[in-house]
Formats: sequence, C-alpha cells, structure tokens
Amino acid sequence: MKASPRNNSLSLGVFILDYDPMLSTTLILQALISGILASGLYALVSVGLALAIGVIGIVNFAHGELFMVGAFLAYQLFVYFGFDPLVSLLPVALMLFILGIIVYQSSIRFVLKAPELNQMLLTFGVSIILQNLALLIWGGDPRSISQVPYRSFGFQLGDISIGAVPLISFSISVLLVGLLYYLLLKTSLGKAMRAVAQNRTGAALVGLEVNRIYLIAFGLSAALAGLGGVMIAVIQSPSPTVGFAFTLKAFAIVVLAGLGNIRGILWASLLVALAESLVATLVPDGDAIRNAVFFAIIFAVLIFRSRREGGM
Amino acid sequence: MKQGFWRDLFLALLIFIALAFLPTGLRQFFGKASVSYVSLAIAALSLATLALSWDILVRTGQLSLAHAAFYGAGAYSTAILLKLTSAPLWLGTLVAGLVAVLLALALGWVTLRLHGIYFAIATLSFSEVLKAVVHKLPTAIAGGAAGINVEPLFRPTFIAGQMERWEIAYLRNERYFYVFLALLALAVILSLIIQHSRLRYAFSALRTNEAVARVMGIQPARYKLLAFVMSSWVVGMLGAVSAHRLGSVNPDESFSVFVTVLALVTPIFGGLYSTLGPIIGALGLSSVEELLKRSFSDGYLIGYGIVLVLSVLFMPKGILGLFTQFRKHLNKEEPSS
Repeated sequence: MKASPRNNSLSLGVFILDYDPMLSTTLILQALISGILASGLYALVSVGLALAIGVIGIVNFAHGELFMVGAFLAYQLFVYFGFDPLVSLLPVALMLFILGIIVYQSSIRFVLKAPELNQMLLTFGVSIILQNLALLIWGGDPRSISQVPYRSFGFQLGDISIGAVPLISFSISVLLVGLLYYLLLKTSLGKAMRAVAQNRTGAALVGLEVNRIYLIAFGLSAALAGLGGVMIAVIQSPSPTVGFAFTLKAFAIVVLAGLGNIRGILWASLLVALAESLVATLVPDGDAIRNAVFFAIIFAVLIFRSRREGGM
Repeated sequence: MKQGFWRDLFLALLIFIALAFLPTGLRQFFGKASVSYVSLAIAALSLATLALSWDILVRTGQLSLAHAAFYGAGAYSTAILLKLTSAPLWLGTLVAGLVAVLLALALGWVTLRLHGIYFAIATLSFSEVLKAVVHKLPTAIAGGAAGINVEPLFRPTFIAGQMERWEIAYLRNERYFYVFLALLALAVILSLIIQHSRLRYAFSALRTNEAVARVMGIQPARYKLLAFVMSSWVVGMLGAVSAHRLGSVNPDESFSVFVTVLALVTPIFGGLYSTLGPIIGALGLSSVEELLKRSFSDGYLIGYGIVLVLSVLFMPKGILGLFTQFRKHLNKEEPSS
C-alpha cells in the first residue's frame, strides 16, 4: 500500500480536479485501482474475523495479532530458509491453524457462553500476550520481506502503473475468499458450520459435533488471518504492534457488512479501501487522514442505517 | 435518597479522608522514594476515575469505546484555551469538562439507536475521527502532530537551604494527588447517586432490555444521555488535569485507543455495575502492572495479559464477584447465623 504520487501544488484541502484534467483523471484511475487491489487483503482478514464472530459468536480482539504472527512467521521462514512468501503461505497457514486451535482449547472454549464483555477482555488478554511475545522475540523494529525478486515488478497501462505485489496479494486474497465461500456453501463441513451458526442446540440435536466445528472454525479464522499477515510482510514493513489497527479495521468492516453477512464483507472492504485510497491520493497530505476516512465512513453508515431501519 | 446512600457516602468520606494523609505518610516513611510512590498512587487514582466513569456509562448498556475521545478532548480544551487566552489555569479544567459533555451529548444523541457491538464500533470510529480532526486543525491552534505544551498546574518554589531537591518533585506530586483524589471523589459521588436513586432501576432496565424498559415508561434517550453527560464530564476533566501533569498534549497520545481499552478492562477486572468494582480493579491492575514491571523489565506485559486471561477464566464477575461468592459460601456454611 504505497502512497501514490500526490500533487503538492495545492496547499488547501481542495480536490485537484480543477487543476489539470489529464493528470487528475490518471490519478483518480490510479487511486481506484490501488483501492481495489488493497480491498482484497481487507476482505481476507475481515472474513476470518467474521467466521469467528458468525460461527462461534466470539468477539475476537486477538485477530489482528494472529495476523501479525503470520507476518512474522513468514519473515522468519524467509530469513532462515529463504522461503519466498508465496511458498510460505501454506506452512504459515498450517502453523496459524494450530496456533488457533491452541488458543481456542486453552481459553476461548471456556467463555463461549460468557457475556460479550468477558469474551472481549479474554481475547484482549490473548492479544497482549501474543503482541508482547513478538516484541520479545523480534523487537519493536518493523520487518519486511523486501528482497523478493518481483517486488519491483509492475506493468504500465497507459499512465497507470500496477505493482506486481499488490496484484498478487489481491489475486490470492480473492482466491482464498472464494474458497471459503465454496467451503461454506457447498461442502458438508461448511453446511455444518452454518447450521451451528444458526442454532447451536438444533445442530447438536441433529448429531453435529458442535465443539469440533467451533475448533475448526477458529483454526480456519486464525489461518486466514495468518495468510493476510504473509502478504502484509511483503506489502508493508510490519512491526509487532501492527495487529491492533487491523483488528479495529476488520471489526469495522464486519460490522459495516452486518454481523453474519459474509457476502457483505466484499462490498464493505471495497468501499472503505476505495475511499481510503482516493483520499490518500487526491487530498493533499491525505495519507495522514486515511484512517479517519475509514472510520468516518463506518460511523456515517452505522448512524444512517440505525436511523433508517429504526434500530439495530 | 435512601438510607443506604448516606451510609455509603459517609464510608466513602472516611476513606477519602484517610487517603488524604497518604502522601504525608509516605513521605515520613520513605523520604526520597515517596516521590515515585505518590506518582504510583496518582496513576491508580487516575485509572480508578477513568474506570468508574466508564462503568457509569455501561450501566445503561452502552458499551462505549469513545472514552479516549472525551479524555483527549478534555486535554486539548485546556491546552488550547490556555495557549490562546490568558485564562486562569483552573478554568481550563472546567472548560474541558464542559467541552467533553457537549461532545458526549452530540455523540450520545446520534448513537441512541445503536446497540451492542454496533454502538461500540460507532463510538470507536468517532474517537478515531476526532483524533484526525485534531491532527488537521491549524497548527497555530492545535499544533498538529507535535501537539502543544501545557503549563503545569503547580510550580512549588524551591527554597535553597530549607529543602532538598527531591522535595520539589514531592510537593508537585502531592498537589496533583489531591486534584486526582478530588476527581475520583466526584466520580464516586455521581456513581453513588445513581446506585441509590431510581436512576439505578432505569439504567439496569435499559441495560437488560430496552424495549421492556420503554414499556415501563423509561425514556431511553433521557437516561442514556444523562449517563453520557456524567461519564464524559469526569473523563474530560481527568484528561485536562493529566495534560497539565504530563506537560504536553499530542493527538496520538491524548486520543490513544489504549485510554479506552484501560477504561473498559479495569471495571471488568474489578466488577462491573458497581462503585467499588472499578476502584478495586484499578488498584489491582496498577499493582499487578507495577509488580510485574519490577520483576521482569522486558516483556512484563506478557504477565499482564496472562493475568487478564486467568481472571476472565476464574473470576468472570471480577474481584468483587469473588467476594460475593465467598460471602454466599460462608452463609451456606452457617445457616443459623
């Protein structure tokens, strides 16, 4: 998510549309494309969180930390074995699946019926533990897998440049989210998950092993977060504290989509990623308010929806 | 007001009077080291005030993640007021409380129809947006990313020959201690008023089931906004006083999401929906953190995380819940008494 070239000839918060029509059209197109490409990663991370919230009903504040662990495992695999991040995807997903299972078995399964606040406090504790373990192991400096050969690749479409890394990350994210949809809609495991999400007791009555399905769902959720982490390790230079911001953003996207609405996540991710990218490009000094735009949209949508539908 | 109110108020008064002697006592016993002990006490008081004010709001079922916004708004109000005008120092804190209340009224009004996680995310978003707005205010007013310096509330004068160097720091801390103590007292009084009046029933009815509360004749808007006002008033002033003590404000620290996180973790740890719970939680958490900090310099926060996880697993109703459980247990043992 590199900052796109920004026009600095205007110092006020005015859109540059009236400045140079050719240049601004290119800029807008460029911003649109970067936004679309960035939305893939958001969708991937949010879909994992939505799985934990939707199927298990757990408000997982440690989701971003699982994401961060994925990033640092990919980094470590690269440093030790020279694994290309593309190769690391599978081992990291497996390791995160196992980590998810450990977290679930050691703590989360005991608070399934606890009040939401307690679940939040518990997962917040897990997130503090993971974040500070990572700080102990890797220190606070940002790390990045910058030596991949295709990092500087890209191609030009007229005046618009598309980097290989964002494109690959977008494609993989879309593929993974597609696979998850397939899993949920077409396989028996997916049907079981949806059944458990709809009615825990009913699912148990027809003979589904609810606890095992929760376990798998949480492992899957962690694995999806980890896969997103592998990509962020190439796109940005994450530090062990990167997770919390992503937890907040993923939460916001899930809520924007509406709880339990996994398809809505695609639209929500696209909306916020596009808005972020457009503002970062078109508004002078827009990078600084990127996050604000993200949250302003979510605030506005929530308020608007609550007024229209008469309560949520 | 019921009888219980005056009893609790009296008890609280006794405790606060006892606490007022804490700095002097520490000074007598520890001498120079008392400076850092009083600092610790201030941190605990500040955490308790933050936690109690958050608890007041959550009693209506509004799980707010906007406390950083009120805290930061308070800090910036006093900083900007004192920078642009020559208002007296104490006025800044009062204005800070007022600004926080106005913000809370606006936020509370637009989020009236949101509940649960939707409300939480909306308030969090509000806080993040406000942070960015402060960031982008003209530098001449709010100082941008670098922030503004804030004058300290107290400047004890050094009298050569009559006192030692550390005593200056002690005197400064001692005065801040009383200010923070007063803020906590305000929060306690507000909380006791709620707990011992009809407000308590209105709040818990709203929390348990808003539709039913409405049928019983409780106007959600009135009580939710009232809780917002009380809570933000205290937090706004807390932010202002903390800004004076720290000496500066900047968007990332004054509006840090960790203010919000502390505001919610502490009451859950101590025991929700009570006056004592958040205070016990603040005492517990700040001692745990300090102990861990002294035992492990690196990664002590891991221990903090473990304490949180264990406390949810083994005392889901907080420390206070543990006490009530224990008392019930005792009563069962001796049914005759």
